[in-house]
Amino acid sequence: MRIAVRGIGIAGGFGCGVDQLRQAIVARESAPQYVALKADHQDLEMPVFLCDTTPIEKFISKRALRRVDHYSRMAALGSCLALEDAGRQPQDAQHLAVVVASGYGSTRTTFSFLDSVFSDGDACASPTMFSNSVHNAAAAHISILLNARGPNLTVSQFEMSVSSALFTACRWLQDKHVDAVLFGSVDEYCSVLGYSWQRFFGQAPAAGMQPLELENQSAVAGEGAAFFLLTRDEGDKPPYGYVTDIKFGRAQRSGPEISENSLLILGADGHKTSGIHYARFIPARNQTAVYTPLYGSFPTGSAFDMAIAALSIKESNIFATPKHAGDHSGLNIVRTEQSLDSKQISCLKFGCNGEFGMITLVGA
Amino acid sequence: MNSTPTVAVSGIGCLCAAGMNMQACMQSITGNGCAPQPPTRFSSDHAVAYPVFEVPQQYSFGGAARNSDTLLTADFALTATLEALADAGLSRADLQDKRVGVCIGTTVGSAMNNEDFYWQYRQGRHPDMKAVTRFLNSNPAQVIGQEFGLTGPCQTVVNACSSGTDAIGLGSSWVRSGICDIVLAGGADELCRVTYNGFISLMITDESHCKPFDAERKGLNLGEGAAILVLESDDLCRRRQHPRRAVMLGYGSACDAYHLTAPAPDGRGLKAAIATALAACEKSVDDVAFVNAHGTGTPNNDRVESRVLNELLPGVPFLSTKGYTGHTLGAAGAIEAAFTVACLEEGKIPTSAGFANKDRELPAHPVQHETAVSGAVAISQSLAFGGNNAAVIFGKGTH
Amino acid sequence: MTLNEKLKITIIEELNLEEITPEEIDDDAPLFGDGLALDSLDAVELVVQVQKYFGVEIKDMEEGRVAFQSINALGHFIEERQAA
Repeated sequence: MRIAVRGIGIAGGFGCGVDQLRQAIVARESAPQYVALKADHQDLEMPVFLCDTTPIEKFISKRALRRVDHYSRMAALGSCLALEDAGRQPQDAQHLAVVVASGYGSTRTTFSFLDSVFSDGDACASPTMFSNSVHNAAAAHISILLNARGPNLTVSQFEMSVSSALFTACRWLQDKHVDAVLFGSVDEYCSVLGYSWQRFFGQAPAAGMQPLELENQSAVAGEGAAFFLLTRDEGDKPPYGYVTDIKFGRAQRSGPEISENSLLILGADGHKTSGIHYARFIPARNQTAVYTPLYGSFPTGSAFDMAIAALSIKESNIFATPKHAGDHSGLNIVRTEQSLDSKQISCLKFGCNGEFGMITLVGA
Repeated sequence: MNSTPTVAVSGIGCLCAAGMNMQACMQSITGNGCAPQPPTRFSSDHAVAYPVFEVPQQYSFGGAARNSDTLLTADFALTATLEALADAGLSRADLQDKRVGVCIGTTVGSAMNNEDFYWQYRQGRHPDMKAVTRFLNSNPAQVIGQEFGLTGPCQTVVNACSSGTDAIGLGSSWVRSGICDIVLAGGADELCRVTYNGFISLMITDESHCKPFDAERKGLNLGEGAAILVLESDDLCRRRQHPRRAVMLGYGSACDAYHLTAPAPDGRGLKAAIATALAACEKSVDDVAFVNAHGTGTPNNDRVESRVLNELLPGVPFLSTKGYTGHTLGAAGAIEAAFTVACLEEGKIPTSAGFANKDRELPAHPVQHETAVSGAVAISQSLAFGGNNAAVIFGKGTH
Repeated sequence: MTLNEKLKITIIEELNLEEITPEEIDDDAPLFGDGLALDSLDAVELVVQVQKYFGVEIKDMEEGRVAFQSINALGHFIEERQAA
């Protein structure tokens, strides 16, 4: 399989666009914001990598965005940036297929809809909020804003959402079902998620997110969208390279088959329930990096890893793992920038039940 | 002649208000059906109790008490899967040495919208976190994958009302392309106060029994349930000498790119989806025995569908089965695919429950009596919020 | 504040028409199609807002079509129902 990556659009806690992503990677750190949270009568401040969607207004008018909530705005921003990065005009989107992965869907609007019911009664439930609370609202808004009339798919299964959705995007291209796919991910932070984290995990450690401390809980919540324009191989050596493989599996059956020639980007994001699986299966021989401290923890973070992998291929460079990411004995962690040579890059993500997805990219 | 591998449908499981299994459902839809009732599992303060099609109270999961660690949607999906596997003559052990994928459509099954939990949270109380863990444990495709220890592709499709049709279409491509030997494909959804209030707020629900394509139609009734099809490589099916119930021939999908909730008046997405599905299996209008329409009973949907069917498939009999099941959202496309296979097997389609009076504004009308159908293939189609349109085409299993 | 002014502010705020001011909405201009160019989703949202802020129920879109002709039409509709 060789699916060309032609453009990247990304927005998250680090900022938006490939240039700002690169700045954060090279700086080897990114600072979360702090949001107020009430839990068990305590007023807390929780670090969260929040995404600012104001830049969407460069692409889409305020009037067209009036019913588009934060979840769909992040996705729309990612989509527009990906098309721009690929040198495509929005009006070229008519035959595009749209594939979106989301771990939790449109959570803020889901709870805003419940607010409308709780505040004013069942008869005052907001139909606009209900319509926006469905998982496929982001894909729907993207198709409407860009007039994309090809097949449209939204996939949701927590940490496996990205690899599962990308699998279909690639299949559609390989089967010549479509010629181009706008593939991406979106997940948002909401106060209920913050509250749930407090209840499940307690306060985030003062040292911040240290995902390589694989047996510890240090996750910091994040949100954002990462989109890619994908096509079949046209023989023209796309700078971001190709997606060549997507593997699925279950730790209980067997671990991922990892090629010696792979740089591994781990989706370890400070949750110990999934951290333990990385500890079991990462070979010491493979160069390994983790970038999650740059954008935080959310189910579709592996799309951010895929973006960083594509950027690495474009520059033929392995970026150093962020500072303060922690350590785990037996792992060959890349802590200084170095040449990628001709390695392939595999982005590996485990879910808390041992399920995994691995996306491999290779240069042209 | 299409040289790509054939995808067999070797087993079906189905449960909804019409019945607890496929046989009971078919008996219901070819008989008197059942009427929707005010919901019993939740209440609301609407002036009117909009009726729904609930799965009967005596529901049980394989005879055991309901597993309250997962949402009802996941239980529906598992129950239908067990029936489908039994129908396909496949044991758990049979799945272990094969490449088995799972593709399931849902809406509620992927939503964290537990009202009790959120109410307590809003009040500043200390809610039990079980509602959250239940949600995290209930992703339908993951539940099925975990239950059977499957390691193939696993996908939960959340395309609103076309999810079930999309899941079957997508799953069949995994078999056709040789990635999987077997795919468990379908959809599941449960009734829930949140979607109940949501649809009522959109003013597209009927206070009485829904009337698909009828002149007096006012809207839909919500329903719940699940259906799973065992999609299998024809080669494997033949080797293990199991009969095929049908063959899954084609899938098409397209987006209207028009509006968040209303279908494009010109039906452009649905036309593209049907055309793609027909082209994929190299079939033409003349081959189509019947169409299982989406037919929700809303003024807009039925108007668009009638126009498209009249334009693309003039004279082809069609029906809506939502008068027997309600609109089961993520499960709808799967339940209707199951019914489509069964009707193709029987060579006849039932009347569309709820349809009595032709709407003079519509160019095409569903069948008003049980109708014998001939033709090699049948189409099941769905239209969804967000403008998704999907169509799947089944052919007869026996030659 | 007159009823019409309240209605305009409600529509602007609840339908997120942030680039429009109340003064720019003509009392007799159509709300749907031309004029403000609202659509079917705005219509059902307005039904909820009219219930919530003015305590008046619009039973179905037949009534909605009459009530939503213009700001004046909506104002009259609300006044009639409130008086009843």
